[in-house]
Amino acid sequence: MFKISLNIIACFKWVVDHEDIKVNPETNELVLDRAGYRISDYDRFAIEEAVALSEQYGGSTTAVTVGFPAAKKSLKDALARGPEKAIFINDPAFANLEPSQTAAILAQSINNQEFDLIICGEGSGDLYAQQVGPRLAEHLNIPCASFVRKITIEGRELIAERRVDEGIEIISMPLPALVTVLPEINSPRVPGLKDTLAASKKPVVEITGSDLEETVPCLETVEIKATTMERNCEKFDANEDDLKRFVEVLLRAGVID
Amino acid sequence: MAGVWVFAENYEHGLELLQIGRSLADKTGVELTAFACGDKEVGQQYIYYGAHQVFILPPLAEDQPLETYVPAIAEVARQEDPDIFLFAATLRGKEIAARVAARLNTGLCSECIELDIKDNKLEMKRVLYGGAALQTIICKTRPQMATIPVHTFTSVTDLDNTRQGIIKEFDPISSTPVKVRDRQPRAQESGDITRSRVLVCVGRGVEKEEDLKLARELAEILGGDLACTRPIAEELHWMPQETYIGLSGQTVKPELYIGLGISGQIQHTTGIRDSRIICTINKDEDAPIFKISDYGIVGDLYKVVPFLSQELARLKKK
Amino acid sequence: MDFKLTEEQELIRANMREFCEKYVDPVAVEIDENSRYPAEIIAKLAEMDWMGMPYPQEYGGAGLNYLTYTMVIEELSRSCAATGFTLSCHIGLASGPIYNFGNEEQKQKYLTPLCQGEHIGAFALTEPGAGTDVGAGSTTAVLDGDEYILNGTKTFTSNGPVADTFVVFAITDKTQSAARGMSAFIVPKDAPGFKVGEHFYKMGIRASQTSEIILNDCRIPKENLLGKEGQGFRIAMQTLDNGRIGVAAQAIGIAQAALDESISYSKERIQFGKPISKNQAIQWMLADMATDIAAARFLTYNAAYLKDQGLPYTKDASMAKLFAAEMASRHASKAVQIHGGYGYIKGFKVERLMRDAKITEIYEGTSEAQRMVIAANLLR
Repeated sequence: MFKISLNIIACFKWVVDHEDIKVNPETNELVLDRAGYRISDYDRFAIEEAVALSEQYGGSTTAVTVGFPAAKKSLKDALARGPEKAIFINDPAFANLEPSQTAAILAQSINNQEFDLIICGEGSGDLYAQQVGPRLAEHLNIPCASFVRKITIEGRELIAERRVDEGIEIISMPLPALVTVLPEINSPRVPGLKDTLAASKKPVVEITGSDLEETVPCLETVEIKATTMERNCEKFDANEDDLKRFVEVLLRAGVID
Repeated sequence: MAGVWVFAENYEHGLELLQIGRSLADKTGVELTAFACGDKEVGQQYIYYGAHQVFILPPLAEDQPLETYVPAIAEVARQEDPDIFLFAATLRGKEIAARVAARLNTGLCSECIELDIKDNKLEMKRVLYGGAALQTIICKTRPQMATIPVHTFTSVTDLDNTRQGIIKEFDPISSTPVKVRDRQPRAQESGDITRSRVLVCVGRGVEKEEDLKLARELAEILGGDLACTRPIAEELHWMPQETYIGLSGQTVKPELYIGLGISGQIQHTTGIRDSRIICTINKDEDAPIFKISDYGIVGDLYKVVPFLSQELARLKKK
Repeated sequence: MDFKLTEEQELIRANMREFCEKYVDPVAVEIDENSRYPAEIIAKLAEMDWMGMPYPQEYGGAGLNYLTYTMVIEELSRSCAATGFTLSCHIGLASGPIYNFGNEEQKQKYLTPLCQGEHIGAFALTEPGAGTDVGAGSTTAVLDGDEYILNGTKTFTSNGPVADTFVVFAITDKTQSAARGMSAFIVPKDAPGFKVGEHFYKMGIRASQTSEIILNDCRIPKENLLGKEGQGFRIAMQTLDNGRIGVAAQAIGIAQAALDESISYSKERIQFGKPISKNQAIQWMLADMATDIAAARFLTYNAAYLKDQGLPYTKDASMAKLFAAEMASRHASKAVQIHGGYGYIKGFKVERLMRDAKITEIYEGTSEAQRMVIAANLLR
């Protein structure tokens, strides 16, 4: 096959593992201090797609993350999944960025890189605001397609199948471009042992907050509370009497007729 | 004209946004503006439903995606400086909102499920961490933007054909390098579960694909539809993509939700939180879903569901 | 002393966890139930370079130290002890003696395909009449021109039915004691006169395959002698020292899984209106479990560390294996207790853990044999 050689950037985020989030029952506040972190699940698809495309068409992948210093741990993990190098945009102040800031920081850092394609997950595992990808495309002034489930490259054109509410839209756009990908696009590989060992030897470029223009948040969090769902919690057994009583309860509630 | 602006890619979601838009505009004493995509008639209807002003975006060429409107929307917002700008959170709506927000250098609350005016500021709520938390935010920059999941609000009903409003038509807009090559409508294998009054939802506790017919039978007797959890659609491919409920799938609010063999992971339950009555059938009495159910049956769904179907069919005949 | 794992070790452990979630957990119940060899998991382990992890890259290994290898076996055993054992048997018992005692030619020919996972290895020492008493073996090897002729029957050979390369022990000099008269041989499965005998169906680690090996005038080239004639006993003992660290890791994996299951079950199980984890009786069991697991981990990681440093570790490996195996058995049983009736039902993980744990007290030297080794070291 004709080799195109793509420079691909895959963006990922080091997020709190929400399985580990505990709730203080008195205040209903979240307890995050003992939670672990992981590469956002959605971004694993972005990394995999970038690596798979660079394998298919030739080229290389750079994994990029914006985070606080502890996110350094994510780099080897990301690199074990196939990218050739990583860019770590790192500052203690980057712990709780909102999407507008993350996109602006990424844009400043990526601007002087050569790239043909940027791939982001459809959203992040923590905020799931689904904004960074499209915002980043705007900052870089490149075309964008979101919620993509299939990518092919034809010369300098990218063909994407994207989900829209009525079905699928197949679009083409010139490179360089940005896509956000859906989980259905691929099945991320589990890194092999040698991939993990090789990750330590791959180059990492560090960019710190002082190298960049400061970003200012637009949003202000008033509060974060655990979600509660107050429900009846009435239990029935599976015997005939209980099941008949169950049907009666639904009838009385007027939800069946 | 400042005030409250709303954008939805279609008429139906437009009416939902007009409802909430009207209430926010009334509370702050400002006017309400709606966008209509390429259709003057829709714009006229929006005025009848209470919009003070309508922007008619020009029709797009066949090969142009909806996002072609982004520069035009951002430009008019820059000039007129609305206080609040709401978007229907369709897939395209989410992209358009994020890109408009980037152009306007303002904040955007994604998939806002509650919004209200506090101290003249828009206070918005959304879920975080896979549904585990609820965040309340305000936006310090202008416009205060949010995307609103479809069917979060009921459609506006206050139709008045005598209402007058300002209709502004846009100049034709330049095309983008993104070209639509083909459109494939969703296969109508299933109804739209976000509109179902009754939903029977299946999870991993259903062992085989052919067992779905038990659930389907129950749904039919109840006059409802069948939905599923993410693994059933995405991993097992037993049901179409658009029938799974959860954080990255559909958000539903039926009168009655019956979950079969569903453990109750937060990513799923966050999609059913607004159901009126939640029922559960699960043999594991410790399954977390019981904690968020109104009525839970502890038992084997393979025995319980046929019995319920039979019992309900018997009642129906009466 | 530095107890901190390196970032790389943590990542390798995390990758094995990811591997388990994707490839092992979904089939662990089924392969146990059917005593099925998980060929597809082994193929994946090979594809992802886990099959020769502690051996040098020149032989297709990954060059990990023994400590990291130990952690990987622990992590794999947490999902499926049978798969964990299949791998540790392949790496520790079969590939180990070829790496440690083989000449360059033997390493190229036999170790490389083992490390690459193209071949599976097995270790054939035990005989019907010679378990802990290794010296009582009656399998013989006689040199005939350019070939050795092997005769005898080996039993309880782990990986026996699936292995390509066997390290077999046989008496070459009947006039000597076992310690001097035994030799080790590399026997490929296609050697004439080599046969896999009866398969054994076991109480636990059921997916690990075990059989007899029958050597009936089995002919192998004389180059397949491992080390020198008469070195067999030493090769066997040193290999078992290494193997014991692997069994200890396996036992820790089982115990960790028992603890994981017990914590989540006790928090969810409501009796008398509250989760059973609120009962002190349950809390104490959990506390004891966690403490013993931590202790076993230190013993085992220490033995692996000593081996990595080239220091003596025989006694330490025995202590690690003894303690880890007994605590795993004890706590897997407690985990069943915590689960009550459910713990006794097929399909609940703790039921499998209890069966899997027992073997760690038996193979690669029973607990009694470990005590002999430890005491002999103390009284020397």
